[in-house]
Amino acid sequence: MLRKILLPTILAVLAYGFWLSPDFKQISAGVAIFLFGMLSLEQGFKAFTGGRLENLLRHSTNSYFKSLGFGALTTSIMQSSSLVSVITISFISAGLVSLTAGVGIIFGANLGTTTGAWLIAGFGLKVKISAYAMPMIVFGVILIFQKSKNLKGFGYVLTGLGFLFLGIHYMKEGFEAFKDTIDLKDYAVSGYPGVFLFVLLGLIATVIMQSSHATLVLTITALAAHQITYENGLALAIGANIGTTVTAIIGSLSANVDGRRLAGAHLLFNMVTAAIAIALIYPLTDFVDSISRWVGIADDNYTLKLAVFHTVFNVIGVLVMSPFINAMVRFLENIMPPRIRTSAQAQYLHDASIEFPETAIEAVRKETLHLYDNAFKIITGGIRLRPEWITPAQDIKNRLNLDNRPEPIDINTQYTETVKGLYSQIIDYISRTQTHLTAEQTDELFGLRSAGQDIVEVIKDISHLRKNLDKYLVSPNPAIKREYAEIRTQLASILHTLAVVREQGNDSTAILSLDELQHEARERHHRLTGKMDKLIRNNQITAEMATSLMNDSHYAYDAAINLIEIGRLLFSTGDINIRSAERALSLEEHEIEEALLTPQEKP
Amino acid sequence: MKLKKLISNTEEFLNSDKRKRKEKKKYLKQVLKELRQYEEALCIRLETETDPETIEKLNRKKALAHQQRKKGVSLLKELKKET
Repeated sequence: MLRKILLPTILAVLAYGFWLSPDFKQISAGVAIFLFGMLSLEQGFKAFTGGRLENLLRHSTNSYFKSLGFGALTTSIMQSSSLVSVITISFISAGLVSLTAGVGIIFGANLGTTTGAWLIAGFGLKVKISAYAMPMIVFGVILIFQKSKNLKGFGYVLTGLGFLFLGIHYMKEGFEAFKDTIDLKDYAVSGYPGVFLFVLLGLIATVIMQSSHATLVLTITALAAHQITYENGLALAIGANIGTTVTAIIGSLSANVDGRRLAGAHLLFNMVTAAIAIALIYPLTDFVDSISRWVGIADDNYTLKLAVFHTVFNVIGVLVMSPFINAMVRFLENIMPPRIRTSAQAQYLHDASIEFPETAIEAVRKETLHLYDNAFKIITGGIRLRPEWITPAQDIKNRLNLDNRPEPIDINTQYTETVKGLYSQIIDYISRTQTHLTAEQTDELFGLRSAGQDIVEVIKDISHLRKNLDKYLVSPNPAIKREYAEIRTQLASILHTLAVVREQGNDSTAILSLDELQHEARERHHRLTGKMDKLIRNNQITAEMATSLMNDSHYAYDAAINLIEIGRLLFSTGDINIRSAERALSLEEHEIEEALLTPQEKP
Repeated sequence: MKLKKLISNTEEFLNSDKRKRKEKKKYLKQVLKELRQYEEALCIRLETETDPETIEKLNRKKALAHQQRKKGVSLLKELKKET
């Protein structure tokens, strides 16, 4: 009900305000243009998130201070803590960064956001920035129409900055004109009631505009025009800091539990910081005065002093909260326990990541690995092995004793329960991700989808194979028993080699060694075909056995080739460019044969 | 000279195909370096290995790594030609 009447009420109040005061209209237009600039800026930076930001993340979040620095730097550049928190939530959902690293980024983002107040107070109000805005918008729009993704992104950033400047200009002009007709200072409230009232106003304004930057600009321009008192301006800045967490909370609704915990950490940090700032507002004001005097800011330059205050209370927040980061993570983990997920449910596919192609691709890769892990249990069970026997540390030869086989499994039921649904979720997610992708990203997703298809194919092959495998592994005929045992050994050996390669996913030579494994599988298959003729000729197996063996050796070979292809597509942990280079170097069968020719055979 | 470099950097930024090729070359070189080190390690192992079966296996691995490198080098040449 409230939602239904909220928007019409806001629109009606604004319309009435515009009718009453053209200055109010100008200020509101300034805010609207500013917000449009923020949207354009975010759109522009999103174009640059494809790969570079993710690569930077991999190297910048392995320690708390690095995460903090990453958050501060990216927010200073992008001038949007909301965008940084939403991106961080998407990274956490896709399993790219840990919660502790995410919290570090968010703390850093709070520090980075303070540069905004400095820019506006130090540069925005002193220079006639509207003079810069016009050419920026013109050049930006021309660039937006270009084909190149980078140019387009750059165009959006330029247009965004242009609109930000233009918005600040209108707000400044509006407040200047406003003071001739009405003095808002008459409504100033002093003391703690004023602090609480203006904190609340700052919070509400930020929630409505979804941007603490917009509230800060509004506050600074109003302060410059002497429309609000310095004290009330400080309270508005505190309120804006709390209000900014709303964007992160909204962003986390479609994220996994870690994403929601991160939004919780953001809220907790900003609430604690705000509580400290409110409780110590008067000593802090004195402290800000001392710092300002020390750095040469004039006593009556309230706009710059507000920027100092904003920086000081966020730095205090980081200093106070940093020692408790692990306790905070534990607290959030306790109050937000993970939802119990069955192995059939997707773990990494969240809508929060869908907007960022590289993050979405990583989420799909991890989920397809999860699908492989589910399928692995069916595949090993199908050839009567336990999944825990096939690990890099285990010697598989000791486990192939036919007398030590586990009980058969129900492949169809396990497939329906743990693979089919998950596979559908992956396909659905991939189809929803396929917007704004580069050719390389589309190829990567296509490869991952085909890895999923290969996994299903392997299960089908094993399902076909297992009936005769179960039958002939206990056959009194030693020849057929030997052949089926050999098929089982080959598949187990391939699964084992793949487990070893998976463990060395960051080593390109391990991924490329799969070419050799594929060649060996092909050779073995050819050898078995040749051997089969001999077995029939020597009456060692019946015609019926030969037909079964022929079919099943094909199923086993198919399964082997598909498994190796899955390894190629899924196991490399390098970035998209490394994976692409590995694929480019992988050899075709004729190239392998050419490489393995003896010196005498070479032409 | 500095202006020349600036113009070439700007041109590279604006020309996404050229930039992509440069990136491709960079990563290809990285994987080729890993392969070269792997091949060298295999050669060292071959010098001390006495078991004929292991020697055969190592030789096969070495031949395949070499072929992969050969393929990579010709890909690199093609990319250089395009730029």
